[in-house]
Amino acid sequence: MAGGIFVVPVLTLFGHVEIRTAIGASIISVIACSCGGAASYLEHRLTNIRLAILLEVATTLGALTGVLLSGIIPVSYLYFLFAAILFLSAQQMLARRKDPLQAAGLGAAEPLALKFGLDSSYPDAEASGEVPYHVHRVRLGMMLMYGAGMISALLGIGSGVLKIPAMDTALRLPIKVSSGTSNFMIGVTAAASAGAYFFRGNIVTGVAGPVALGAAIGAVIGARILMIVSSHRLRILFVVVLVAMGIQMLLASFGIELIKGGA
Amino acid sequence: MKLEHLLAGLLRYGSWAASLVIGLGFLLAFVDARFRDMRLVTIGIAMFILLPTLRVFVMLVYYARHRDYRMAGTAAVVFTVLITGFVIGIRTMVRLPG
Repeated sequence: MAGGIFVVPVLTLFGHVEIRTAIGASIISVIACSCGGAASYLEHRLTNIRLAILLEVATTLGALTGVLLSGIIPVSYLYFLFAAILFLSAQQMLARRKDPLQAAGLGAAEPLALKFGLDSSYPDAEASGEVPYHVHRVRLGMMLMYGAGMISALLGIGSGVLKIPAMDTALRLPIKVSSGTSNFMIGVTAAASAGAYFFRGNIVTGVAGPVALGAAIGAVIGARILMIVSSHRLRILFVVVLVAMGIQMLLASFGIELIKGGA
Repeated sequence: MKLEHLLAGLLRYGSWAASLVIGLGFLLAFVDARFRDMRLVTIGIAMFILLPTLRVFVMLVYYARHRDYRMAGTAAVVFTVLITGFVIGIRTMVRLPG
């Protein structure tokens, strides 16, 4: 899970940046994080490229819908939607994620997956070899990805929170492949809305620049830190921060501000 | 060359390049009055937006050359949607007075 979800709350609640500017900066950081991390996944063959480009049809169309909606949605609704996504992320972080049952070899391949050649395999150290997998329910997956793309554009996040259910329940990808493929897709999805926001003038250089730089460096260093720190403690810390920010964003959507900016 | 390695190289060096341009942009804005408008930082941001777009284009060319027309077509659709996003942005551009 990327830290992209923290950028907007931090910028709006602590930096007192206007939410649309914060979303513009955040979406650039999402691209930077995706591009910076993608190479490693690709080299370890954890990215299903063919599936990614097919799903990107849905995520980018969703992103365009989000761009069109973002012009008419009131700011208070954006705060509210953001709060909901933060709570959902916290809840998802608490739930343990398991590899979906794959009945590989037994289950019949889906026609659409066959047509596009989506079924693949990935190297797994534990299984000491290649683990083949089928891609299931592509149509449902694409519908969910359309929604994920829309939320990504509206809130300036990678919206992994919505991609994970699509990857796990609909497509039933192994977690490692799901992470690699999702990270790969996020950059293109974000670029669809970032391009529009860039030309529209929603991306403020002074805000987006440092955030993007931080994200690019974070994408490289972050993975190493995650290996040192206990994942259980980190998980609890994440949940607490997500809930706290969710409450703040919810209050902000009703125009209540707890943290007053010191001058 | 395998597509995986081609894309990994593109995204890795592309990210480095964009980050360097942004970093350099801040540095110059700090030391040189002529760069106070941070235009290099803006260019670095644009590079980050173009990088995934370029990635889709590379995939389009790769699949077309390998006669995998179904995949090439899919990449072409994604590329078109991305360009449409840019066009929507230009159409709704905020016109500053003066």
